[in-house]
Amino acid sequence: MVFLPSTASAASAVDVSLKRSHVDYSRYLSAEARSRLPNPIKSIWKAAQVKPGTINMGNGDPHHTLYPISEVNFVVPSIDEHDPVQSWRSGTGEQNIIASYKDEPCALSLRTAFAYGAGAGLKDVRDALADLNDRIHSPPNHTVSLSLGNADALTKCFRLLGDPGDSFLCEEFTFSAMTNAALPLGIEWVPIRMDNNGLVPSDLERILSNWDEGKQGKRPHVLYTIPCSQNPTGSTLSLERRQQIYQIAHDWDIIILEDDPYFFLQYDLGVSQSTIQQYGHTRAMAEVLPRSFLSMDYDGRVMRLDSFSKIVAPGMRLGWVTSNSYFADKLDMLTDSSSQHPHGMGQAFVAELLGSNGWGVDGFMKWILSLCNEYQRRRDLFMDVFRQKVATSGFATAEVPQSGMFVWIKINLEHHARFSASQTPTVPGGPTTNTADLMDELFRKLLNNGLVMMPASTFAIADRTGMMGSHINDRVNFFRATFVGTDETIRNGLTTFGRTLEEFFL
Amino acid sequence: METPQIDNNATSNNRVIDLSHHLSDEARIRVANPLKDIMRVISECPVTDLITMANGDPHHSLYPFQQFMYEVPSVQDPSDPVTSWNNSGRTQIFHSYKDQDCALPICKAFQYSRAAGLVQCNDAITDFTNLIFAPPNHHVMLTIGNSDGLAKIFRIFGQKGDHFLTDEFSYPGITNCPLPYGVKWVGVKMDSGGIIPEELEKVLIRWDEAKLGRRPRVLYLVPVGQNPTGSTLSVDRRKKIYAIAQTWDLIIIEDDPYYFLRYDISQTNCSSADPDEFIENFRSTLIPTFLSMDVDGRVLRLDTFSKVLAPGMRLGWITSNKLFHLKLGEYTDSSTQPPHAFGQMLVTEMLSEHGWKIGGFCRWLRSLRLEYQNRLDFLLDVFQREVEPTGYASVNRPEAGMFVWIEVFFEKHPRFVREQRSGGSPVVARTNTECLLKELFETLMNIQGIAFVPASMFTIPENPLWVESDGHVPLGDRTRFLRATFAGTEEIIEKGMIRLGKGLREFFQE
Repeated sequence: MVFLPSTASAASAVDVSLKRSHVDYSRYLSAEARSRLPNPIKSIWKAAQVKPGTINMGNGDPHHTLYPISEVNFVVPSIDEHDPVQSWRSGTGEQNIIASYKDEPCALSLRTAFAYGAGAGLKDVRDALADLNDRIHSPPNHTVSLSLGNADALTKCFRLLGDPGDSFLCEEFTFSAMTNAALPLGIEWVPIRMDNNGLVPSDLERILSNWDEGKQGKRPHVLYTIPCSQNPTGSTLSLERRQQIYQIAHDWDIIILEDDPYFFLQYDLGVSQSTIQQYGHTRAMAEVLPRSFLSMDYDGRVMRLDSFSKIVAPGMRLGWVTSNSYFADKLDMLTDSSSQHPHGMGQAFVAELLGSNGWGVDGFMKWILSLCNEYQRRRDLFMDVFRQKVATSGFATAEVPQSGMFVWIKINLEHHARFSASQTPTVPGGPTTNTADLMDELFRKLLNNGLVMMPASTFAIADRTGMMGSHINDRVNFFRATFVGTDETIRNGLTTFGRTLEEFFL
Repeated sequence: METPQIDNNATSNNRVIDLSHHLSDEARIRVANPLKDIMRVISECPVTDLITMANGDPHHSLYPFQQFMYEVPSVQDPSDPVTSWNNSGRTQIFHSYKDQDCALPICKAFQYSRAAGLVQCNDAITDFTNLIFAPPNHHVMLTIGNSDGLAKIFRIFGQKGDHFLTDEFSYPGITNCPLPYGVKWVGVKMDSGGIIPEELEKVLIRWDEAKLGRRPRVLYLVPVGQNPTGSTLSVDRRKKIYAIAQTWDLIIIEDDPYYFLRYDISQTNCSSADPDEFIENFRSTLIPTFLSMDVDGRVLRLDTFSKVLAPGMRLGWITSNKLFHLKLGEYTDSSTQPPHAFGQMLVTEMLSEHGWKIGGFCRWLRSLRLEYQNRLDFLLDVFQREVEPTGYASVNRPEAGMFVWIEVFFEKHPRFVREQRSGGSPVVARTNTECLLKELFETLMNIQGIAFVPASMFTIPENPLWVESDGHVPLGDRTRFLRATFAGTEEIIEKGMIRLGKGLREFFQE
């Protein structure tokens, strides 16, 4: 096994790239990914483009003169407003028109956007996002591939890296829609304990060092983590924890799947106005945003998933994966054998938006900062109302989230008359409290009173190693609530919540 | 093996055949997305003004879109919108607005949505499907194009050790997909009319489960303008194939991207200004699909906008029975998610009252068909002038699609070799056809500067265990074609055929 020394910050760029050429990434891949071949017909195009003047009658592509769309234009907010999101919401702001054409000059012609292309996506768009990556993360040496959003990217990574019978690591409360997607592939999940600050590195270490391959099968080689506004617990990993986790991943040769759709929704940032004025929004944001796993990835073991879903809109169905070039190639092969490259209009839109006729990268970061302020306002409102209507009773508590959309509300069940902490488990290693039952009761009571929040049980990953020490059902005394709705929703919702808690506990 | 009763009443809605045994282990294990389960519990709650703080969806007031505008051809001129389009003809504008007055507003289109696609778009496409294809009892699911649809279908039916059936010449961009997870292909003999039903039946009858594993249960076809041979299955062959599928319990995957590009149909020349009459006439030019005869629910049909709008639309749909529809939905929810809002909005507006409507879309399709037919005519003209006279190659006129399948007479080559001994493996080539083909392909590309795709790229490897030994000519000896497209400009076609003629002369007269 070959790997790089851990204090990569001391390594020069030249040394690092020489060493990387010896790293064999193929051992991480599933059998399926190893045997997948590139599309042979596409190799003809590459060969045909080598000699100038070659006529290609090989491809079955409709000619662009037959595309029945000559122009698409998008009316978007003007980024010149001082607070673009506020102006946009109140309808007072100016608007800009961004246009893509088939037969006239623009950042990304519809002739290109509407044609077949390579799975990785169009170069203009990849380059723009690689530039954004560079300015925010300065990743050591990585490649960008476009995706159809993070669910698409993540589930493709599962196919890329996982064989039936493999164990993958995840946070013990996680985005279960995704972990469920891996189950039919024969992948099993090994949960890692969390505290208020996210996944606990020492527990990750414990799991790996105690792993018995004889009894448990192959040691896990993939860690799935949501480091910012962890879904559902809302926590954001500190820099220290990230460094510890990266070190453990390095020691135990783990691939890190960094699922980060909320990365650009951060609060209490303290962005410097003078930096904005001197260097622009991108630099100002880069200085205060968390350090990603990608930014410290000298081993090439991170696959970072970014998405436009939360910062533009879910229906964009567009995102980007940043990883070492070997993984990027293999991912592209899988894309070429399945969903193909993303849709032309989405790529054209992003190219125009980030280009010189649109917002540009700085303008996009200005929109994002404005979005952060808007979400922060809602977070603050939520926490205010929570303090007034809920926390006073002592029946529930919540930490202030530093990013994203979620508040992880703890229900203090020990105050409940029927709470029992010393039950005999029905199966060995089973729960010893009636937390799950009480939470189910509370969830239904809330529903009857007209309020929906997500119960922790929806996100719980049960430990099957038998080595965790306590069953997760003893810890499901939480609700995940979001503050993305209107002010009215937040006020009325939390009032109902407080009232229902009183009914439940008294 | 059961022989189910064949119901000849094609419009019967009452037969329910359980086809769940066709599902792969993966598809069987897959469960509905747990978040969506909770959504169902919530939706069943009787409280009317439920406050939800459950979802992590950005509010639509934060989408940075006010409006979209699309400039498209006008299809109001009944005769020829494609030609008008390329001669600065009239255009039409569609709009998508934030929350008003359009078929699929932005505030709805950009939300997270369910597997089958946004309801407005799904409804519009279902209406089109019902009108044009008249499926007996099926449901529509949106896809991100046919590659996406096929990749998903292969996963829900195929697993390690399975064999799938298809044409002996097939597009490797698709057939390569399931190879990495252990599915193998069985190529069935074709002639100029496509897959030969009797040959299909022979493969199934001869199949030795002890040596090869489970008998194949999936048949993948491109029945109109087949890629690469350009063949189109006649109605008679379709009925025979469907009957075989019923007898042998096969799933039929009907991949039909070129369905609307069918040529030499006299009714195409009629073009009524009356919308209903036009649609009726247009429908009469269409060939009955496997879907339309699918009384058992064993057909999954794939349609796409790639060839009739643009490849970058990344939008299509699968029409299938309820069970497969649900399974595909579950898989979509666990992977790609539904298609992007832009494409769904454009198509919904296009098919709506504000846009082309179904009738207008059919006008576009008819006009496109005539355009491609012109290009086909042009290619065949130039071929006849530049290539045919060499005596080294010939080509048939395809009924549909975008490709011509040029046959090269390698036996005329000075270095052509045919082994004289008889016997030996039925799958090992007895001539050096494939070698000569490779040489020809390379010399055409590197010396003449013209790229075609050689037939060898499309062959499905033969296995003596399923190939009949009597009189079978090995596929390697029949791999004597070049696939050429007529989708390019006249300039490309003319130059290409000239270079082909020249290249053939130089190759054969070395």
